[in-house]
Amino acid sequence: MKKITYTVLCFLVCWTTACKKLDVPPINIVQDKDVFTSPGGIQAYMARIYSELPIEDFRYSPQRGLNFFWIISPFSAVSGEALSRDQSSAMQENVDESPWGDCYKLIRDVNYFLENMPKYAATYTPAEVNSWMGEARFIRAATYFALVKRYGGVPIVDKVLQFPTSNVDDLNIARSSEEEVYDFIATDLDYAYANLSESNQVGRANKYVAAGFKSRAMLYAGSIAKYNQISLVDAGGKRVCGIPSTKAVTYFKAAYDAALLLENKYSLYKKAWAAGDKDAQYQNYVNLFFDETSPENIFVRQYHYPESVHGYDAYNVPRQLMGANGYSAEVNPTLNFVEMFDGIPKNADGTIKTTTAGKYDLYTNTVDLFANAEPRLRATVILPGDVFKGQSIEIRRGIYTGSSAGGISPLLPAGSTANYPTANIVQSSNASQTPYNLPGGGTMNPAGLSGVFTGDGTAAISGFSVRKLLVPDKPTSEVLENRSDQTWIEMRYAEVLLNRAEAAYELNALGQNDKPYLQDAFTATNQIRERAGATMLASAADLTSVNVIRIERRKELGFENKTWWDMRRWRVADKEQNSTIYRVLMPFYSANDKKYFFDARTDERNSRYTFDVRWYYEQIPNGEIQKSQKLIQNPGY
Amino acid sequence: MKKIFYMIAICIVAVAGSSCSKLDNYPDPTETLTGSVIDAGTNKTLQTENGGGGTRIKLIEISWSDNPTPFYISSMQDGTFNYTKLFAGKNVISAEGAFVPLVQTDASGATIVDKSQTVDIKGTTNVNFSVDPFLRIEWIGEPVLNADGTITASFKFTRGTTDPNFQQDITDVHLFVNSNKFVGNNNFDNRYSPQIDYNGSDANAQVGQTITLTTKGGPLPTKREYFLRVGARTNYGLKYYNYTDVKTVTVP
Repeated sequence: MKKITYTVLCFLVCWTTACKKLDVPPINIVQDKDVFTSPGGIQAYMARIYSELPIEDFRYSPQRGLNFFWIISPFSAVSGEALSRDQSSAMQENVDESPWGDCYKLIRDVNYFLENMPKYAATYTPAEVNSWMGEARFIRAATYFALVKRYGGVPIVDKVLQFPTSNVDDLNIARSSEEEVYDFIATDLDYAYANLSESNQVGRANKYVAAGFKSRAMLYAGSIAKYNQISLVDAGGKRVCGIPSTKAVTYFKAAYDAALLLENKYSLYKKAWAAGDKDAQYQNYVNLFFDETSPENIFVRQYHYPESVHGYDAYNVPRQLMGANGYSAEVNPTLNFVEMFDGIPKNADGTIKTTTAGKYDLYTNTVDLFANAEPRLRATVILPGDVFKGQSIEIRRGIYTGSSAGGISPLLPAGSTANYPTANIVQSSNASQTPYNLPGGGTMNPAGLSGVFTGDGTAAISGFSVRKLLVPDKPTSEVLENRSDQTWIEMRYAEVLLNRAEAAYELNALGQNDKPYLQDAFTATNQIRERAGATMLASAADLTSVNVIRIERRKELGFENKTWWDMRRWRVADKEQNSTIYRVLMPFYSANDKKYFFDARTDERNSRYTFDVRWYYEQIPNGEIQKSQKLIQNPGY
Repeated sequence: MKKIFYMIAICIVAVAGSSCSKLDNYPDPTETLTGSVIDAGTNKTLQTENGGGGTRIKLIEISWSDNPTPFYISSMQDGTFNYTKLFAGKNVISAEGAFVPLVQTDASGATIVDKSQTVDIKGTTNVNFSVDPFLRIEWIGEPVLNADGTITASFKFTRGTTDPNFQQDITDVHLFVNSNKFVGNNNFDNRYSPQIDYNGSDANAQVGQTITLTTKGGPLPTKREYFLRVGARTNYGLKYYNYTDVKTVTVP
């Protein structure tokens, strides 16, 4: 009997505890209510989606895609701004590293935020909620822009797609027209501009960032409307590649108006600038990229050692400042790039002048050729013999030992792609050099400490090395991969001014005269030139062609991973890169003259660049095409 | 004991192995599609280049879906194509290349021209396309080996279509030189191949004129054959090249 009592009691005890409900959310997983009910949670959500924003920064290369540490085939060696030993041809972005899939993941995260944030709106002030909603829309717009500039029209997903609750066929979305995608971006950015706050944390968007991105996106759309020759129309009659040329004015106007919104909110960095002082202008331009309080920085991505890093310094320092990883000089500016700048002796056709009456000009030091160079050039490119980190960067191709009586004739006929003759030239194949005994005493290494070596590409193979964005005081012990943490400036006010100038010029060219567009283009261009220390345009009449503004843009934004996209949207890449060999400038030391001369020639590797016209619309990954029959491939693939 | 163990292991391997021989119940694709892309003006096949930059045949197999992923066949260099591993089925076939598109749409996206052909592919199916090339390039005389070891060739290009919508500016012309008979923009020796790049509409005055190009880069290496071809293109769409046929010059 007692046994039965115990059993019943035991049973009852068990029964009561069983009433505890087991269907509770797992406490080890972060819930929406944890994220959306505190500013900290929202900041964490934002931190992640910002970190996935597809921008081509220090961790991008076309070969290896976004957010990858190893940047040895740099973007600037694809666009013709530079030569690199690891990049010897034109290319489109590696389709295997396509950002397509990651962009749609990010878009989903943003759409999720947009759908769920309003449910928790009561926790915050309306202003806070609006600002976050605007911020999310900005990120979605920036992501769609990354897609449209690569692929043309893409599927627009503006809500969270539910799977498996929806029918799979409904989840397959066809591509929208290229025009619709740009309009979608404009709508998102307008919303962002209207709702975002005036200021935000560094690295996050405020309303003017949205306006700046709009000026960029609309300028792309206008350029495509005006210059594109490619068309792809789907079965339903949608033009997924190309924009009708009649839309050019609309888009250029949108770009122009958006650029105006940033006026007086940002300004060109001129803290160390002084009129007429080339050294101050040079120092100012170097500082621009490292001053965290720069009024020019609109949108940046910050890095911080050791948790978020890149290796820009390690890959790109001149050879003589090589760090322990053994990388150096991956970015060597081409002579084509250098020749765009003012203040260097030039021939009538705009090429650099190195000879007089068929004989080489002689200079005591290599840097003398650039004595009057535009300060912006010195701040962008390390010229042979110029100073970096307290050292004179020695770039010398070899020693000329021939007779100098009556001057030295060019080593090769004009335009020759042949190797240099070996007679009368002493050269080095790598950095372990055998000094050459100079006539009249003394010795000299055949090549400079930073090259050029005939068998070792870790040197200044173009005769130049890049300076822009290299930290000027980083000790060599810290010049290592994954050891750099300078800030990437994705958008600065100079770009917005150039967007404005270009849009204004194009509007004027398209016959628009509701505003003094040409005059405004002139003013904006001269603002850039003044800060750069370049020759000023005398009047708006000097804007003889759109190329004046385009060259200004290429000079100002060189090595900032923008030029290749510009060449694409102007549809000039296939003309510029048509079996093209880029040019280099080789300094030689004449042993008998005890002076330097320069030989301008084509890349000694004879690397030819040809841009395939198909690349104006990149290949959509085949894996994505196979997922959906509604997704059609771009032309020619 | 060990023997039993081995017996079991062998049995498992045998069973596992035989289970892999699953029979695919669908026969191999064996149908053949062959044909040519023919210049309507000259009735000759339209010269092109091998690979992705040349003429290609687009097949849309509509026997199982209204909206299939297209299948492409690359044409051979002489403008003919031959593909022997197709499934039988109903296909809409068109071609893409350096000629007036066979399928055209107007500004609103409506199809205004559709010269694609709907064909049942079975056995050996022959399909020909008659097209208007953007440019028609002809040799003038034979390429000549000069005393200095270079080769000079003369040619002219004319418009292959009278439709002004397809008479865009001519952007560049190349004399492609190669050491084997496959020669074109995708396959040439860039040390010796000269080119002319035209600005804007500059080349339009050159239409029908004799143009002469000489190989660059000094004398050609001796004791071998060179294969030459002229390619030119207009500023339309993907800027496909039109080509002459291939001429051979022997450098003794």
